[in-house]
Amino acid sequence: MNEQEKVKVIDARGSFCPGPLMELIRAVKESSVGEIIEVWSSDTGSQRDIPKWAEKAGHEFLGVVHEQGYDRIRVKKKR
Amino acid sequence: MPKKVLVVGGGTGGTIVANNLAHRLHDQLVKGEVEITVIDPSSLHIYQPAYLLIPFGIMHRNEAVRPERSLLAEKVRFRQESATKIDLANRAVYSDSTRLEYDYLVIATGAKPDYSQVPGLEKAGYDFYTLDNAYKLREALGRFKGGKLVTAVAGIPFKCPTAPIEFAFLVDSYFTRLGLRDKVQVSYVYPLPRPFTIPNVAEEVQRMMENRKIEVSLLFNVESVDPEKKEIRSLEGETVKYDLAVLTPPHTGADVVKKSGIADKGGWIPTDRYSLNVKGYDDAYAIGDGTDLPVSKAGSAADFEAAVVATNIWDDINGFAPTLRYDGKVMCFIITGIGEATMLLFDYEHPPKPPPATFACYWYKLVYNRLYWTVTAKGMLPGFGV
Ligand SMILES: Cc1cc2nc3c(=O)[nH]c(=O)nc-3n(C[C@H](O)[C@H](O)[C@H](O)COP(=O)(O)OP(=O)(O)OC[C@H]3O[C@@H](n4cnc5c(N)ncnc54)[C@H](O)[C@@H]3O)c2cc1C
Repeated sequence: MNEQEKVKVIDARGSFCPGPLMELIRAVKESSVGEIIEVWSSDTGSQRDIPKWAEKAGHEFLGVVHEQGYDRIRVKKKR
Repeated sequence: MPKKVLVVGGGTGGTIVANNLAHRLHDQLVKGEVEITVIDPSSLHIYQPAYLLIPFGIMHRNEAVRPERSLLAEKVRFRQESATKIDLANRAVYSDSTRLEYDYLVIATGAKPDYSQVPGLEKAGYDFYTLDNAYKLREALGRFKGGKLVTAVAGIPFKCPTAPIEFAFLVDSYFTRLGLRDKVQVSYVYPLPRPFTIPNVAEEVQRMMENRKIEVSLLFNVESVDPEKKEIRSLEGETVKYDLAVLTPPHTGADVVKKSGIADKGGWIPTDRYSLNVKGYDDAYAIGDGTDLPVSKAGSAADFEAAVVATNIWDDINGFAPTLRYDGKVMCFIITGIGEATMLLFDYEHPPKPPPATFACYWYKLVYNRLYWTVTAKGMLPGFGV
């Protein structure tokens, strides 16, 4: 991940499946093409579901960074 | 001064908590040492699980509605009006006509469909989320002689997470019984990568849907519905055509919790998952569909939560430390067709392991629908399950 780029962070820690995915979807809907959205999730299911959704929806999955007790998952809005 | 318990919302959770407490506090109520008040704008109590069965003629309006007053214990006061503001800092709830102070508050204002979140949704199709809509759907199903019936979930979370699955299975049996199944294409559309939130249940549901030739479309987040072209469009860029659409609308919490500055972005009440206190307030509790708890929006969750809250309020009034914790317990039936059902029982720590569907379980569900009025809503099983 390129830490320099401007990212919109959504803190969905403490929210359970499918909360983080739903929050990401809402954020992507409200963003412009090219923006990067980073979801913070403590639900392990997010790492599995978010890349699947990004692929289907035609956005770019940029990767996951594991932090203490949560993951930072990035997606770039492509369309 | 009597100790005042105020319950905002007289649906499933609010009615159970008030009745459960009224049984335990009977003597103190009679002596005037305690007061229990329920406030709700509706004089009628509706058993919402009936909405799913009315379209198929399995339940009827007269089995789904009772006057709220007739359900509440005699000593519980009922105010038929809307709470307009909840002031947690000053322990008061306002309505248009009065200001009610409390020592203990229980917020049980539930969840409601929010059609405004999806353009075209309200006009487009049918749903089973209000009594009137359940009847409109019954009429539409009765007229439907063939074509593509799409049942889609247009927003998570919503009331009763298993209801859209059950609806698809019921549609399959309903048209099979009518001898029309080969003319009706049934399609189930869902926002997640699996057909249900809980992975092991989702696997079983997917397998059963495949066996019954119910087409499953996943990762489809409804963006808009075009009632003229009869098309549902997704954020992911796909389109599903329909002849009859049965849509689960997105849900939101009650206006009063939003206007009182209590709710989170989705309209839900931030609630401690174990104590059920509204976060930051040890004299206020939230139960049922209105909370932000990571459990199903189900009547059984409201029931288990009501028992925890009633026990803890009783303890506090009687000088004991309130120690009971909610463990996340939920019990849900899944009707898998006319005449068969299975059951999910789970909590925060233990995912459900649904047993095979049986007629006995279906029968129990139908019996339970009747027992709701005389046992569950009356708070006749105080502490059941906790
Ligand atoms: C189709 C369908 C099928 C279902 N099937 C099942 C099932 O099989 N099993 C199961 O366990 N659950 C089922 N449920 C879910 C169940 O009905 C709900 O989870 C349950 O009713 C939640 O109880 P509650 O007290 O939180 O909310 P509700 O019962 O909805 O009550 C909320 C109350 O708050 C009141 N209120 C709102 N605003 C205010 C205000 N400002 N002032 C005062 N009062 C207010 C409302 O008038 C209402 O009476 C189903 C629901 C649906 C729609």
